[in-house]
Amino acid sequence: MGRLQLSDLPRLARRYPLVFIGGGLLTLLIILALAAPLYAGDPVNINPFKRLQPPSAEMWFGSDNLGRDVFARTIFGARISLMVGLLSAACAALAGLLIGVIAGYSRSFDNVVMRIMDGLMSIPTILLAIALISLTGPGIGILIVAIAIPETPAVARLVRSVVLGVRQRPYVEAALCGGARLPKVLWRHILPSTVPALMVQGATVCASAILTEAGLSFLGVGVPPEIPSWGNMIASSRLYLAIAPLTIFAPGICLAVTVLAVNLLGDGLRDMFDPRSKRRR
Amino acid sequence: MAAYVFRRLVSTIAVMAMVGIFVFLLLRLAPGDPAAMIAGRSATEEMIAGIREKLGLNDPMPVQFIHWVRDMLSGDFGTSIFAGRPVLELMSQRLEPTVSLSSLTMLVSVMIGVSFGILAAWRAGGPIDRLLTAFSALGFSVPVFVVGYFLVYFFAMRAQLLPVQGYKPISQGLGPWFEHLILPTVALSVAYIAFIARITRASMLEVLSEDYMRTAAAKGASSFAMLFHHALKNAGVPILTVVGISFAYLIGGVVLTETVFNIPGIGRLVVDAINNRDYPIIQSVLILTSGLYVFINLTVDLAYTLIDPRIRY
Amino acid sequence: MTISRREIIKTGLAAGAAISIPSVLRAKAASGSTPTVHMVKANDLRIFDPIFTATNVTADHGLAIYDTLFGLDSKFMPQPQMVGKWSVSADRKTYTFELRDGLAWHDDTPVTAGDCVASIRRWGQVAPGGQLIMERAGDISKKDDKTFVISLKEPLGILIDLLADLSPPCLFIMREKDASRPATEQVTTNIGSGPFRFNDALVKPGASYTYDRNEKYVPRQEPADGLAGGKIVKVDRIIWDNISDPQTAFAALQAGEIDYVEQPPNDLLSVIESDPNLVVDVLDKSGKSMLLRLNCLQKPFDNVKARQAMLHLIDQEAFMSVLAPKYGASVTSIFGGDTLYSNDENTGWYKKGGDPEKAKQLFKEAGYAGEKVVVLQATDWAPSNDGSQLLAAALRNIGINVELAPSDWGGLSTRRAKKDSIENGGWSMFITSEADFSLANPLATPLLLANGESAWYGWPKNDEYEALRAKWATVATLEERKALARQMQGLWWDFVGDVRLGHYVSPMARRKTLTDIIGLPQVVPMWNMQKA
Repeated sequence: MGRLQLSDLPRLARRYPLVFIGGGLLTLLIILALAAPLYAGDPVNINPFKRLQPPSAEMWFGSDNLGRDVFARTIFGARISLMVGLLSAACAALAGLLIGVIAGYSRSFDNVVMRIMDGLMSIPTILLAIALISLTGPGIGILIVAIAIPETPAVARLVRSVVLGVRQRPYVEAALCGGARLPKVLWRHILPSTVPALMVQGATVCASAILTEAGLSFLGVGVPPEIPSWGNMIASSRLYLAIAPLTIFAPGICLAVTVLAVNLLGDGLRDMFDPRSKRRR
Repeated sequence: MAAYVFRRLVSTIAVMAMVGIFVFLLLRLAPGDPAAMIAGRSATEEMIAGIREKLGLNDPMPVQFIHWVRDMLSGDFGTSIFAGRPVLELMSQRLEPTVSLSSLTMLVSVMIGVSFGILAAWRAGGPIDRLLTAFSALGFSVPVFVVGYFLVYFFAMRAQLLPVQGYKPISQGLGPWFEHLILPTVALSVAYIAFIARITRASMLEVLSEDYMRTAAAKGASSFAMLFHHALKNAGVPILTVVGISFAYLIGGVVLTETVFNIPGIGRLVVDAINNRDYPIIQSVLILTSGLYVFINLTVDLAYTLIDPRIRY
Repeated sequence: MTISRREIIKTGLAAGAAISIPSVLRAKAASGSTPTVHMVKANDLRIFDPIFTATNVTADHGLAIYDTLFGLDSKFMPQPQMVGKWSVSADRKTYTFELRDGLAWHDDTPVTAGDCVASIRRWGQVAPGGQLIMERAGDISKKDDKTFVISLKEPLGILIDLLADLSPPCLFIMREKDASRPATEQVTTNIGSGPFRFNDALVKPGASYTYDRNEKYVPRQEPADGLAGGKIVKVDRIIWDNISDPQTAFAALQAGEIDYVEQPPNDLLSVIESDPNLVVDVLDKSGKSMLLRLNCLQKPFDNVKARQAMLHLIDQEAFMSVLAPKYGASVTSIFGGDTLYSNDENTGWYKKGGDPEKAKQLFKEAGYAGEKVVVLQATDWAPSNDGSQLLAAALRNIGINVELAPSDWGGLSTRRAKKDSIENGGWSMFITSEADFSLANPLATPLLLANGESAWYGWPKNDEYEALRAKWATVATLEERKALARQMQGLWWDFVGDVRLGHYVSPMARRKTLTDIIGLPQVVPMWNMQKA
């Protein structure tokens, strides 16, 4: 295995097209979002006398019900939606991995931890999030926590079920019988086999976090209404489908494309990292 | 086995107790006052204070908790602060729409999702796989309420084939019942079909690449037998896990779907109750859905041992 | 493989049949239907007791199933409704009322004077107008089964107006055993003597409520006029469907599943108007005022100059163009846009607002030093959700350190009761609205109090104003009351008890087939309406 060269890219792209499409899209979105202040207008500037305007040279996507620039809000909205999605996924994946591996490996822990997970998981995501948010009032931090908490058990359970399956495998049993140390077995044999599940699940969590944010905003308990997020924009513009369709289509399409990119990336990474699935090809 | 079932039942009670304390604390610590909601927008402070006292909201929290647990154990789920009716009656009114919607959705999603997943895994990398993967990626990327509005716009408002909103109980005839459920079920199923198809495909690929599968293939087992006899059986553990897990997700989707299609189900009951701070309803519904969820997952866990005999406790 | 394909085709056929059958059923049901009206009210009917709560939707529920002693006609003059004959003694201290014939409860027992006395006493515990009567009354008692007497310690010229008032909580007559509960405890039955019966078997709290025509109701002979005259019900059944999503309610109205939507979103009105099957109507011609309450106890608005700055800052036209496009206008009077007492006293100095420079200067004079200003924002009520963002933008524009505190209305209700400083969870301002009909009666609305900590949220204090307000009940003629109103307003805009954001009417949307709805402020009666 030589070092990765730039000239290898086309070959890799042909081999893992999903990673490149999904990852490329996502990278592009992140760059666009980060560079927003350089080219997009002011997303919070209100103009009560320029409500629901059609697209113009000044405001490319027209204006919303408070006369704000829909284009600027869509671009700035990417920051919020991506942040909520990625941070929720990172929190849930890390916590879930830790809990899942421990639970899957140690029987004594398993019962206690998984019962707590069951308890958390048994409360539907959206309801738990609404209840948590009504506790503190809307905010991005609490939103990320509220989405990550109910997603954690799902990751933990999946990781655990993979670990449970793997540790019964002959090669793991053999390694343990052969006197291999536990951390080494965990690292060499068990952890790698959780990676595909974690990748698929991590992408799922990220995608569903973005969707949950939209759902919570739809119910009126998401990100504070002042802050532009795609969920907020869709929720507050749903009445204007007939009058100013771009107010809902712009964030809606961006949302769908972003979630799609995340999902594609997850699928692609799965194929790439899972040596056994690669062997099949 | 019996000892295992017994242990699981005991731990189930522990889970429910945890949920109970969690839910109770969560609600009591939240700002917002049912008395203020009852009194109306231009109510005075005295009116609100009087109502608080009457509702027993001024009792110390432990006292409220003990009353609540005691009443619930004796089958009394309390009385709605707003409607003034027993919570049990309110929940039973709302149960039928939610059960209809979620079981229809589950049925449709598992049937189509698992088939899609197997099909995609079977021809992994081929055009069918690509098509199905694209569909499941797309289906998973659009919020359920957007799908809902889209369906309403085309099938109810433009084509006028189906009703826009509402629910008809089964007792008023199978036709109207089904007719009102088609659009909500389709809207809600899209994401679940995608979800289950993805997981099924991933699990199937995992199993299909196992050595024993290749051995089976080498021995000349037909691809049909390989898929359904060997592979699905082994991929069943993660698939079942996910089906169990998606129940709680499903309730979340149900909340949104019921709002879009104005279905008077449990989801809308509890969202309204959270907005109104109607504690007895929120507590009871959360306990009920948790209980149901725990029961389903208990069943799933027990089913593991049947599907994959290597997993024993 | 052939088997599975055939299976698929069979399943497809079965599904097709299942879909087409109910469509046929639907067509049939629609043609032979009895006149049932489906209404979507502005809010869910959460409370059934119209004395226990002051919300409008519960008042409408009360209006359907209960009857009233007097009713205001379309000119807001009180006319007898349950009362047949009444008289007042020469010293104007003793009122005698006799019930008309044919009044009966839905449980078929007759309505008695005892029921009326108990109902007045219960109402008198909570309604501001009722409290005034209870203060002045020496005795309220029944004389015989059909006659009761109110004896006053001193004359109260507006007694009949107060009994007929339609600002919730209105004086609905309940059975004595229901009315003997304290007003802070809900009644548990829905038995009245009104033109509709509440169908208890079909009620689904949070989802739908059913009202059936009371076949035994004996209406007055006069034609219907406001809440006065004969209450003749012309449909068999009215169902309130609680559709919480405005987009869904609108779609259901267009599809004909709903006949009436009480508060369609303003921005959809043009779409509704362009639909040949739908009509947009204004039932409450007098409308409502949108207003901003300022916390007079805490910095910076404990300083009158900072409050005056808000009068300069608020551009009512800007607010109305967002909160009530086409149906809103600016307002000068604390008594509403177009009521008997509306006037423009003491408004010249700030004109119509929208002067940020002047506001900035006044904030400076008030010693504003960057203290945090917290705006309570109710995300579940559009005017507060959008208006607060507009407000924050205007304040930030002149360098005020604003923070929006979003929550649902329930959260707002709790927080607005806190008199503490901002650091300890207090607040600076919030947006609310009140019907002009109520604002025209400073005895009935708590929003026009200025007695400090016992006033409404914001707690403005001005003793001179309160002394004037106390005169309201004793002033006899309309002209004198108008003069008093000008004096009160002159003071109000100086100490700035609140800031007005504008005046607006809320149109409702209905199918063309639903006609003859009686239009009034505050309430929507359901008799008289017809469905073709």
